[in-house]
Amino acid sequence: MKKFLIACTIAIFWTGQCLAADLIVFSGAGLIKPMEELRKNFESTHHITADIHYGSSGEIFAQVAAGQPCDVLIPGAEKYTEDALKNGWVIKDTIRPLVLHVPLIAVPKGNPAQVTRLEDLARSGTRVAIGDPKAPAIGRVAKKILQKNKLWDSTMPNITVYAPTVNQLLIYVALKQVDAAIIWGDLVTWAEGKGKLEVVRIDGKKNIIKTIPTAVCTKAPHRDTAIQFNTYVSSPEGLAIWQKWGFEPCSQ
Amino acid sequence: MQSVTTQRRTGRINLFKATLVFVSFLVTILLVLAIGALFMVPDVKDVWESLRSEEMLYSLKLSLWTGLLSTALVALFALPIGYTLSRFQFFGKGFVKTIIDLPVAFPELVLGLCLLLLFGNTFVGKIFDALGIHFVFTKEGIVAAQFFTALPYACRIMKSTFDYIDPRMEFVSRSLGYSMFETFVNVSLPLARNGILASTVIAFARCIGTFGTVLILAGGTYMKTEVLPITLYLNISYGNMGMALTSGIVLMVVSFAAIYVFEQTEVSL
Repeated sequence: MKKFLIACTIAIFWTGQCLAADLIVFSGAGLIKPMEELRKNFESTHHITADIHYGSSGEIFAQVAAGQPCDVLIPGAEKYTEDALKNGWVIKDTIRPLVLHVPLIAVPKGNPAQVTRLEDLARSGTRVAIGDPKAPAIGRVAKKILQKNKLWDSTMPNITVYAPTVNQLLIYVALKQVDAAIIWGDLVTWAEGKGKLEVVRIDGKKNIIKTIPTAVCTKAPHRDTAIQFNTYVSSPEGLAIWQKWGFEPCSQ
Repeated sequence: MQSVTTQRRTGRINLFKATLVFVSFLVTILLVLAIGALFMVPDVKDVWESLRSEEMLYSLKLSLWTGLLSTALVALFALPIGYTLSRFQFFGKGFVKTIIDLPVAFPELVLGLCLLLLFGNTFVGKIFDALGIHFVFTKEGIVAAQFFTALPYACRIMKSTFDYIDPRMEFVSRSLGYSMFETFVNVSLPLARNGILASTVIAFARCIGTFGTVLILAGGTYMKTEVLPITLYLNISYGNMGMALTSGIVLMVVSFAAIYVFEQTEVSL
């Protein structure tokens, strides 16, 4: 019995040790592919374990607000980092713009509704999906793009679903449940390559292009590692990984 | 000598028992603290205001009527399925039982994706479309999602209910000249009363709590296909903790009520 209890105590202690991360990163869910590669590289060069938590930008922002321990914050749009700075949650000198986030229109293979430009989303009968304007960063941007081009009121009746997560948008386009969705360019590069969907670019003047920033939190529990990671993801070596996954570096 | 051995044995058994009771209590206390935390964090005024907000009232109303409709449908199907699986031997019974039970172990998201494919891209969806019933991104979709998520639980309870009813009662009824149907209505159903109540209550709680399936099939759109778990999720994304916690509390109260009624029926799962 005693042996069993001792074994249990050791097991609990040991798992606790294993689960304790040396670095906690909060990241936008859309950045999962480059972030995972960056994490692996950083872990092997620095011999640490990093814990990356993915969520919609609003969700991870709310978690920082709720006081969850976080070292590095990388949301899907700079607005969240700016708000975090205003509230004193991130260190100003550590904010670095990383890559561009370019919205575009994704359509199912064969483009059944013949969508060729932004205005086609307002054409009656086109089934459109956008992100919830209050939840993922792409939802807010999609609404702003349509408003900027005075298309919001005419497109609204066509919007069949406001998806709370970005991933839903991809599923709905790929399964032909909608004719078009406004989505981040980097998210569709992979699906486009597989021939699941096609891409319609939004005219540069009509589009709203966002930058993805990184920043170290003021209350970072592992500050030194956090600063190293922050520098690594924005280094030329780190940016090459972002580029590999379809993101355009800011400096270009 | 013998009495000493017995004593030692009882001593051992007690240590064994004490450890098991301790483990049970440890987990129970952790759960109580976790549930308590949900009620402790928000202040009453915040919860009250959230409850009266337009979004919450919409979500409550939608949850209630989709939940009731799905529960009625689940009850309608679970009763014959449970009876069939408990009483009849037929070709392919194992297959039917396995497939109906499958969603218990299935992640809700996977079930949602399967239903989206079924209703979106196959002849089944086209048949329903022709009948004027659309499941993708609609309130009907919420009902379908809840139905398939809750059905296996209700079927299991119905099956075990009929398993515990002595078939001799039915044999007596049959030998007195009643038909199978008359026996079912006049003997089996009244005996299964508690089981029917239990399965309905659990089905309702499961329907109200369905998240992943509803999210994928019905879209989870703000103030359109927004049921309580979606309200919880959306408001976490919005950073509106008051609303999120309030929907959590409402869901918790529904579950408590359901489990309380379930315990009263003394039905085993």
